[in-house]
Parts: sequence; structure tokens; C-alpha cells
Amino acid sequence: MASNHSHPESDIAWFIVGDKLALVTTKGTDSSSVHSKSGDWKGIDEAVTNGILIHYYAEPNALSTTASTRLTVYPDLDNSMHASLIEYVKAKLYIDKAGTSNDPNVAATAMNMSMVHEKKWQDSMVKFGSRRRDKIGGTRVVKTFDLR
Amino acid sequence: MAVRRLTIKNIISRVRQAFPQASETYLINLINDALLEAGMYRTKVEYAKATTVADQMWYDLSDTGSSVDINKVFRVDFMDSAGDYIKVPRLIDNEILKMDVT
Repeated sequence: MASNHSHPESDIAWFIVGDKLALVTTKGTDSSSVHSKSGDWKGIDEAVTNGILIHYYAEPNALSTTASTRLTVYPDLDNSMHASLIEYVKAKLYIDKAGTSNDPNVAATAMNMSMVHEKKWQDSMVKFGSRRRDKIGGTRVVKTFDLR
Repeated sequence: MAVRRLTIKNIISRVRQAFPQASETYLINLINDALLEAGMYRTKVEYAKATTVADQMWYDLSDTGSSVDINKVFRVDFMDSAGDYIKVPRLIDNEILKMDVT
């Protein structure tokens, strides 16, 4: 079912507060009341089935710890990031080793190793992450404004 | 050319080169922690549809309240009178005069 808004880009807007999405409209009547006056922001005025399409950055799907196929699946990440997961896991395991070892030399070495792997993880995700994930290539075209 | 990908088994076997005693469940939990952290760096783009309710201003984006795991919303479209989804602008000043609680 379509909505009654012929130009939603002109009279509908959205904003987010916390984990709530607000959908507001300026569509209204010629009443002077702020509750219904045209031009004042107010809640969306009609029920539309599947009326909102939200584009968002999502979390990768978590792995099951019990499914029989858990070892043969691929992580829900771009394949260029798969090897980075090893760095994260090793960083945490070396911290565990440092915390549980009775030998201060072993603990210090494990701590250093943890920092090495933590840095590799941070570099792959933050420093070079956008370069790995970026799918954009080729020439660019500047799209000019339509001044009609 | 074949795509190079690592299964969870591949990842665990590489970790076990250094930590042969590490339990499989613990390693999978750590991999899940890594995936959660990776989600903060815009690794996955998704979309979802929602139904509007007349005169309802607020719609739930929480991971528990909605059926999707949303980290950041970067675009919202609204269905127009022709049934097409049209991009609507984000309101920067959200201190609007009339504010509903629902």
C-alpha cells in the first residue's frame, strides 16, 4: 500500500535519539494549532505497511557454539578480514596466559606477544580496514545539481 | 581464480599452533567477540523495512526490541504515493516543537 505523500523528500524527515528512530512530517492542515498546522514537525500522519526502508551498518552474524556445522562455516566478514580474526584471538589468549602464569618472565613475554597481536588486529581493522573493505574503484563522474 | 577464505576450522587450527590446549568453545566465543568488535567498523551493510503507525513518532531500533541488529542508520527512505522508496532527509535539529512519547 502506497502512502499519500507524493514528495516525501519535501515533507518527511527522520532523526535518532538513543535507540529510537523518529519519523516526522510537516504535512498538516491550515489550522493554527501546532498539533496539526502545516509546516510544523509532528509524528508521521499515516499507517503505511513497509513504509520505511532503513539502510544501516549491521553486526556480523555470531557463530553457533553448538551447531554441527560450526567448524565448516565462514565468518560473516569480508574474506580480506578473516586472517585478522586470528590476531584478535591470539591477543586475548596471550593475555590469559600472562594472567595465569606463575613465572614473571613467561608473563612478561606473553604480555608483549599480546600487544603485538593486538596492534596487528587494530591495524587491520582501523588503520587499513577501510582500504580492505572498500569496493570502490574506477573513474568518477561529478553529478551536477539540477537547477530547473 | 578461487577466493581465499578461512573457515572457523582454519582459524582455530592456526591459533592452536601457539595454543594447542585452547578449547574449541572458548575459541569460538573469542571469535564472536572479534566479530562484534569488527561490526563497529562498518563491515556489513543491511536494510530493513518497517511499518508506520498513524501519528506514531518513535520506532524502536534497539537490538532486543527490533528483529535486526542495527549499529548505525545512514539512510532512511519513505514510500511515496507511487509505491517507490524516496530518500528523506535527516533532521539535524531534533528539538522540534511537538514531541510525542510514542
